[in-house]
Amino acid sequence: MIIKRYAENALRIIFGNQIDMEVHEQVRRAFFLLLSLQLNDIKEIIPSFCACLVIYDDDLTSYDPLAELLRERLADLSAVELPPPQVHEIPVHYGGDYGPDLSFVAGHCRLSAAEVIERHCAETYTVFTVGFTPGFPYLGTLDESIAAPRLETPRTRVPAGSVGIAQRQTGIYPFESPAGWRIIGRTDVRLFDPARHPYSLMQIGDKVRFIEER
Amino acid sequence: MTPAITVRNPGLLSLIVDLGRTGFGAVGVPSSSALDRYACQALYSLLDCANAPLLEIIGPRFALQFDADVVCAITGARVKAFLDDTPLRPWASFHTKKGSMLRVKEITEGFRYYIGFAGTIKTDAVMGSYTTNLECRFGGLNGAPLTSGAILHLEDSREIETNVVPLNLIPPMNSPHILHVMEGPEADSFTADSRRHFWEKGFHELFTVSTNLNRTGIRLEGTPLVFMPEAPKSIVSEGIVSGTVQVPGDGLPIIQLHERTIGGYARVAVIARADQDRLAHLKAGDLVCFERISLEEGERLWMEKKNRIDKLRYLSVSPHE
Repeated sequence: MIIKRYAENALRIIFGNQIDMEVHEQVRRAFFLLLSLQLNDIKEIIPSFCACLVIYDDDLTSYDPLAELLRERLADLSAVELPPPQVHEIPVHYGGDYGPDLSFVAGHCRLSAAEVIERHCAETYTVFTVGFTPGFPYLGTLDESIAAPRLETPRTRVPAGSVGIAQRQTGIYPFESPAGWRIIGRTDVRLFDPARHPYSLMQIGDKVRFIEER
Repeated sequence: MTPAITVRNPGLLSLIVDLGRTGFGAVGVPSSSALDRYACQALYSLLDCANAPLLEIIGPRFALQFDADVVCAITGARVKAFLDDTPLRPWASFHTKKGSMLRVKEITEGFRYYIGFAGTIKTDAVMGSYTTNLECRFGGLNGAPLTSGAILHLEDSREIETNVVPLNLIPPMNSPHILHVMEGPEADSFTADSRRHFWEKGFHELFTVSTNLNRTGIRLEGTPLVFMPEAPKSIVSEGIVSGTVQVPGDGLPIIQLHERTIGGYARVAVIARADQDRLAHLKAGDLVCFERISLEEGERLWMEKKNRIDKLRYLSVSPHE
């Protein structure tokens, strides 16, 4: 674990430099441990694949004492109490207007559309992080045989619920938004609702399975 | 009775904002803060309130009509504004009368301006904030920009003394914008030469603000930064702070504002917190240059800025003119 300063009121706690389940497990443990400490001087904790970003209130603390405190508290991550990961089953309409890039992915991977769908549904994915837009789950790890590059030029708008692929990741766009991933399908499941608690359907460490809806 | 304020013209874009949403970054909820937070602090001081909903506006022709006497104030970009036929002082509060119309004719310096009232615009806080998340359509007034004919209901409208922010507390907002930056986590991904041209005094590369700008980010045009041969063009997505300067594969910087929690491009620099309000006033065609400072210098500039915010809090009441 390395702690590095990022801005006047922000630091990064770094556990690795590539997408990896072991690194993810450490990030997740660190995140839930930090939450449980309920430190007043921490305003935001943003876990991602390899690191936690901590934004702090510099009226209440400063980098040196906070970094020291974090080093001490995060030294042992083995005893952290973790919430049991939820498993989400996500029905998806694949292809056609729902998934305009399904045929590209199939062509790129030299597979039939049905094989791409089958392989996309075969895996149980892990939510590595949630971001980009509220509730967007970055899911891994995608079967290498159906990995596809991002779009050269992102689309300016895709509909809410669009399911995309980018390299070894897959994800779901909770809102109508710009999108650079290859869209292979769409779900009716609502991933984020600002009027409902918890706001985001998914959080770091949850598991996801896709089910083809015909 | 609750005063009603009718939007007669929304300008190019007007929204309800506040100082932002915090605490939900782990599920991707960005701050969506007002872009010129200092201008908002000035409004709060002029209107004697804290973190109430305010209006953030782009473009001329914005107009509001009042059905009651209300205390109102304008800060941010310097504008030529009139209450009926009376010109209004910049960064000052004023009384409106029943039936009177506030019109903004022209913007003379800066880009975004802010209007607030002594009272609270009736709207529901979403996840602890009134600010509008435009992309996801929540917060503000039904998650959307204000439209012509929209009515703002003002709760707890208060009669207070009017006041003025002294000129020495109004920041410059015109191009060229010199922005202090600190080294970002992936600064080393770029060649020494291109870093020098990016932020070293005496080598300054001027960038132009492109037309590709919105509340999420500002894309710059100019000489592209050059990646080191072995450096990856994208990173494993990681959390970002507001004001992070990201560089995609084409080498042209993007300044991230308050709408993203995670980014996947190399972070060459972070704009000093003290300079981030200036980002509200970058408009297409403006010139921008970066000047590298240390984190300690960034902290010192922020302390100075905080002192100016404190001075805003204790504006002396000006005599009526």
